[in-house]
Amino acid sequence: MIAVVERDQVLAIAQDVFAAMVDGDAGRLQPWSGTLPSLEDPVVAWVDLHGPWTGRAELTTERATAQDLARALLGMGADEAVSQLDLVDAFGEVANVVGGNVKSLLPRQGTLGLPQVAAAAPVVPGALLVQHLPLSWRGRPLVVAVRAFDHPVLSEGTPLA
Amino acid sequence: MRALVIDDSRTMRRIVSGTLHPLGFETHEAEHGRAALDLLEGGLDVELACIDWNMPVMDGLAFVVAVRANPAWRHITLMMVTTESEHGQIVRALAAGAHEYLIKPFTPEAVRDKLDLLGLLPIGEHA
Amino acid sequence: MTRLRAGARETDLTAVVEALTTNETSWFRDTSPFTALRSPVVPALLDARGASAHLRVWSAACSTGQEPYSIAMTLADALPPTATFDVLATDLSEQVLARARAGRYSQLEVNRGMPAPMLVRHLVRAGAEWEVVPHLRSRVTFRAHNLLDAPPPGGPFDVVFLRNVLIYFDLPTKRAILHRVRQVLRPDGALLLGAAETTIGIDDDWARVSVGAGSLYRPLDAGSVTAGIPAPRSAAPWTAPTPAVPVVPPSVLTRGAPR
Repeated sequence: MIAVVERDQVLAIAQDVFAAMVDGDAGRLQPWSGTLPSLEDPVVAWVDLHGPWTGRAELTTERATAQDLARALLGMGADEAVSQLDLVDAFGEVANVVGGNVKSLLPRQGTLGLPQVAAAAPVVPGALLVQHLPLSWRGRPLVVAVRAFDHPVLSEGTPLA
Repeated sequence: MRALVIDDSRTMRRIVSGTLHPLGFETHEAEHGRAALDLLEGGLDVELACIDWNMPVMDGLAFVVAVRANPAWRHITLMMVTTESEHGQIVRALAAGAHEYLIKPFTPEAVRDKLDLLGLLPIGEHA
Repeated sequence: MTRLRAGARETDLTAVVEALTTNETSWFRDTSPFTALRSPVVPALLDARGASAHLRVWSAACSTGQEPYSIAMTLADALPPTATFDVLATDLSEQVLARARAGRYSQLEVNRGMPAPMLVRHLVRAGAEWEVVPHLRSRVTFRAHNLLDAPPPGGPFDVVFLRNVLIYFDLPTKRAILHRVRQVLRPDGALLLGAAETTIGIDDDWARVSVGAGSLYRPLDAGSVTAGIPAPRSAAPWTAPTPAVPVVPPSVLTRGAPR
């Protein structure tokens, strides 16, 4: 089954999530202009989507940025230490809300897995990168990506969705 | 007034509680439906429950069904707070007995709006 | 807005800024006008006009459409199948009207003041957004209109919503606008203003009726159509509006009872 998840929709979701939950104000999350630099000590938060469509919504950024994101969400001071637990919960929840909204774009309803956070997400063989959005959060690089796990070759005449 | 905030994410519980405090609510938290029922069965009385859908052990829908089945808890306003935003999901939740439905991500103003139309804002807080 | 700048006083500007920043794009804004529409306004109109009435409502500062669509939803739910309605929605700006005509709103926008039962009854998902259902959109006509001009065609109206827009104007202009509204409002019709607004002290040709937490205004001296602004009558001294009664939770709109 082919699922259509458009770039503009993913951008709108990410911007709404950050505006409502993180920044209290629209406009802090924007497309990255120019070439994305390589990320220092990257951290990935992701949720897998199950159902008629399987795939993943993931957020990647530098660890320091993820920690600042956690501070913003948890109301912590700029100098407060962010525990791994805090990081996983907060960054994971952002991925959860983004993933949940991506899920509701799909033509047939699916379910969401639990959010996970690690230095890298496990590779799924054959996964297709469906959307890749390099973004800037408060001037720092953050990438939102959507992968499709299941994209079988369809025989002619197969109804879509 | 008291509210029960039910979500498996500590971050989200903090955000929801944080929007309820300035509106005059004392909040109690639970990380899934079963833990929330334990609190109610243990004697906690609340006017409002903000309920995530997807949680381990007992999800939000099951919690709503359980609360609505108990006459002693009829007065509790049940509001889903969830990423589940398909039309059919909202219908399911309302049919199960949820009174309101807030889609994540939400702003503090959106929470206030919902409580206002539910009649749960203190006098003087109305827009 | 040019007129406002020319004659603006500081208090007017403050009011404008406030109006622009608070609750601007909420559905069912302030709740009570829509509760009032549902009852007593609609039942009274059906009594007077019969069960096959065709009701006409004018939303006179419709912005991006949340108000006229909220009106349409309220009427769709409150009217019997025999009755019909249409809503004229006007605003100065063609840009907001274009948005309003599309009837599409983001998830953040539909979270603002929309009871969930209304959402599922009257909107459908459209990609990442929500869209007002076609048969409800077809009930609302959007048209550019300047309140300083003669009233728009489409009347006479049974109900006029003129909410949070009079603050943009000075006193004589407010009076003139209210006079023009009265010309196109049925004698047994109702005017609904913003939560903090009143005709008292502006125009004596209205009777204020307290309804729930808010008010509606009935036209007085209906049928006296005069050119230009009537000479100021010797008005009673302005008194503060009656304090709002405590809100009774709106039972029909919000509790998810099956309809």
